[in-house]
Amino acid sequence: MSKFNQMLEEKVMPVAGRIAGQRHLQALRDGIILTMPLLIIGSIFLILGFLPIDGYPEFMARTFGDAWLTKLLYPVSATFDIMALIAAFGIAYRLAEQYKVDPLSAGAISVAAFILATPYFTMFTPEGATEAVQVGGVLPMALLGSKGLFVAMILAMFSTEIYRYIIQKNIVIKMPDGVPPSVSKSFVALFPGFLVILCVWIIRLLIENTSFESLHNVVGQLLQEPLGALGGTLIGALIAVFFVQLLWSTGLHGASIVGGVMAPIWLAQTDANRLALQAGDEIPNIISQQFFDIFIYMGGSGATFVFALMMLFMAKSQQSKQLGRLAIGPGIFNINEPITFGAPIVLNPLLIIPFILTPLALTITTYIGMSTGFAPKTAGVAVPWTTPPIIGGYLATGGNIRGALMQVINLVVAFAIYYPFFRMWDKQNFNVENGSSK
Amino acid sequence: MNILLCCAAGMSTSLLVTKMEAAAKAEGISAKIWAVSANEVNNHLDQADVLLVGPQVRYLLPKLKKAGLEKGIPVDLINSVHYGMCNGAEVLKFAKNLLDS
Repeated sequence: MSKFNQMLEEKVMPVAGRIAGQRHLQALRDGIILTMPLLIIGSIFLILGFLPIDGYPEFMARTFGDAWLTKLLYPVSATFDIMALIAAFGIAYRLAEQYKVDPLSAGAISVAAFILATPYFTMFTPEGATEAVQVGGVLPMALLGSKGLFVAMILAMFSTEIYRYIIQKNIVIKMPDGVPPSVSKSFVALFPGFLVILCVWIIRLLIENTSFESLHNVVGQLLQEPLGALGGTLIGALIAVFFVQLLWSTGLHGASIVGGVMAPIWLAQTDANRLALQAGDEIPNIISQQFFDIFIYMGGSGATFVFALMMLFMAKSQQSKQLGRLAIGPGIFNINEPITFGAPIVLNPLLIIPFILTPLALTITTYIGMSTGFAPKTAGVAVPWTTPPIIGGYLATGGNIRGALMQVINLVVAFAIYYPFFRMWDKQNFNVENGSSK
Repeated sequence: MNILLCCAAGMSTSLLVTKMEAAAKAEGISAKIWAVSANEVNNHLDQADVLLVGPQVRYLLPKLKKAGLEKGIPVDLINSVHYGMCNGAEVLKFAKNLLDS
């Protein structure tokens, strides 16, 4: 038992610490968070646009006119469809902060670099025509959204690295005597940005001569699609969940660490579902951010909601009961630090077993539920991870009651796995309180 | 006394904040206590006299300690048992001790 703890402390902890503390991953995580409030706001309009109620679209059309959906989805475009643009700014800002160089300038330069890598035209098929024509003077909105997310991430880091390197190396442009110092300073300030733009410009010119045509296609085909395919499988999801749980078992914020690496992939998966919903196509992805936040981690990482209920209603020990009262409030909103550190689950070999097994089991049940069509797939709605169980499943599936039902099933499964371990743990506490050793 | 708490999203530490405020009130101490997420913490250091870090983000401790050193404020990890049980009184005492030493 103590060997297991020792292994966690000595092997897992330092590696996790290094990954979590890694500058670029941290900037990635913190930068992408900037898109979340917007996505949640956009989701409100998205849900209202696609409520699966019979006669709802007809009712809306009668009330607000035929173009009601287009108009209702304006805010969705202003939030979801610019997530790469926002991420380009956010990631560069956070990375520059880490390097202690001006984050605002780094963010602005990164946005410029991202736009510079994006084609200034889109393909459009006029009504009645068979061939698409090129329309200039536009930025393709699709590339500013989730499809451009990886390009934004890469360029934000690339441009900020150049920016801070030049500044930190203190490269100065020598001006002739007589030029006022503040004038020469203003030229120096332009240099890092100029170099970034120059580099990305050259990259664009080079790629335009290949069959890829734009950086978006290079990154999409070589990085985003393979990673999405990998992260979108059941095996990929199980591995991610396992690591989240293993990290939390050592007391580290697993969701934040693993999410930092996986968030762009899952976000792109989520948004592909949203785009399909809007286009009226079949929803493609089972694995998405909400798959984990809403269907697996009910009550917090480890799916501890049922554990909080057990403590509250079924505990014999006073300590268990007291912890239950403390844990249930935050637990409803999927916050479970009182349980992980209070029970504790952290470094507690008995409770680590269900803590790791339950989310893995729920990943499988949810995956089966969604792939067989028993439960609807998540509809690309960015439901906050703090949304209480049952409500979360309903909203994440675009207002489908069977989404909530899937959560109920998962709660039952979680209960079955946690229960025997809860009994043993509660008995230990009870015995300690009553002075008997066994 | 200005006590800043920090964890991944600032959510679970905010739970502790309410308990610490209650403890401070009971002891007649006037204290401003607030919780922020890890990516916001730098913007709040100037207003803080002491920074307490949640155990789940202890991988950030070296970096935050360095930042605290620059600002001249003590930075330390919250005991995980006190954290789990939301023991406001103990964590408040811990903050006071950090400030006094």
